[in-house]
Amino acid sequence: MKRALTKIIPFLVMASFLATGCTQENTQAAKAAKPAVEQVAKENVYKGSVVGKSNKAKTISIKVGKGEDAKTIMVAFDDQTKGVEHASVGHASIINYEMRNGKPYATVIKPKLAKLPEGVAEIKTDALVDLMASGKQFTLIDSRPGGRFAAGSLPGAKNITVPKMKETMGAGTLPENKDELVVFFCGGPT
Amino acid sequence: MSTSSAGLAKKAGYTNIQVYLDGEPKWSKEGHPVYASNKFVGTGNIVLIDLRSADKSAAGRIARSVTIPYGDLEDRMSSIPRKAPVVVYSDNAEEAMEGLTDLRDEGFKKAALVNGNIQGWIKSGGAIEKGPVVTEIKWIRQLEKGEVSLADFNKAANGQDAGAIILDVRTKDEVAAGRFMNSVTIPLDELGARMSELPKDKNIYAHCTTGARADMAAKELNKNGFKASFLVANVDCKGNDCKVED
Repeated sequence: MKRALTKIIPFLVMASFLATGCTQENTQAAKAAKPAVEQVAKENVYKGSVVGKSNKAKTISIKVGKGEDAKTIMVAFDDQTKGVEHASVGHASIINYEMRNGKPYATVIKPKLAKLPEGVAEIKTDALVDLMASGKQFTLIDSRPGGRFAAGSLPGAKNITVPKMKETMGAGTLPENKDELVVFFCGGPT
Repeated sequence: MSTSSAGLAKKAGYTNIQVYLDGEPKWSKEGHPVYASNKFVGTGNIVLIDLRSADKSAAGRIARSVTIPYGDLEDRMSSIPRKAPVVVYSDNAEEAMEGLTDLRDEGFKKAALVNGNIQGWIKSGGAIEKGPVVTEIKWIRQLEKGEVSLADFNKAANGQDAGAIILDVRTKDEVAAGRFMNSVTIPLDELGARMSELPKDKNIYAHCTTGARADMAAKELNKNGFKASFLVANVDCKGNDCKVED
């Protein structure tokens, strides 16, 4: 039994390092040992795609970083957290957080709004409905993955996923006349 | 996604580009129709509903259809599996749209229409079925990536699988009301710090009350070299008596 425990101890020490992360948060953990004053570290930000959310465990998983540096972080939230509704699975969020006893707590959650490329305008729902009704020639492109497109897409939409767009630049689907209107859409901003 | 594509189109020389930022969710929310692809109608794991009368349906319907005349839809709503993608059609655009709207109002998130209704389907050369109508809905949900089947989970929960353990990631309060006899309990928010309590050589089947937390737990564990999967089901425990419903 004793042997088993000594085996576990290094793990526990390591786990506590893993859970707290960098040095700044370690000093935070040390401070937390002091009597009941709530310790608040300097505010930090996670930006990325929300991959999980549980209202019961009050936890959000967010994927941050790109490529090999990408990692998923679990952030807790509570009744004081603002904008919890902006965190929804599959959508990008900006989460301001603070460390409390070595764990990240979300303070403010905002949707990460898509930036339009220069010279590209936004079209709203009603305008799109009018455009469809007008019979004017235009191409409507659904940028979502193939499965989502197949399950239900807008009237007359064609599917070009972003990877496909990178590969083919829309050849065969986008109009030959490059001055003709093309409207892109996907699964929305929030 | 749409903005990256718009950027690429601009690079390719397109001069007249717009982006519908609100996207499909808003489109559907505002009551506009969405259409399933013909391939999805023909082969997808869906509930396909013919809203026309039984007579018309018997004379020729899209293969695999269940016949629920529009007038019966409200009464039959509870027999449609909640998680199923549902595709409805008629021979009348207005009726099909009403069916879609009713399904959406009822909370079906994945509901769509057939392009051009039955007429469009026939025109596209899609498969047609004739004869007595089918009224019973047979739909089985396919497992998501990383999901454990209910059968495998039950086997482990009943102690019949030495190669697997049940991990309960609910809160301490929830666990206090009841839990599987053979489970290891670690609340999701403590998992990061307590992973070393779990074996790396066994299958870990995580559960919570619905599947959301279990999914997050399994992803976190797999990232750290464990063999974990999650249960998508409603779990309700009193003592060691747990009810599990798909």
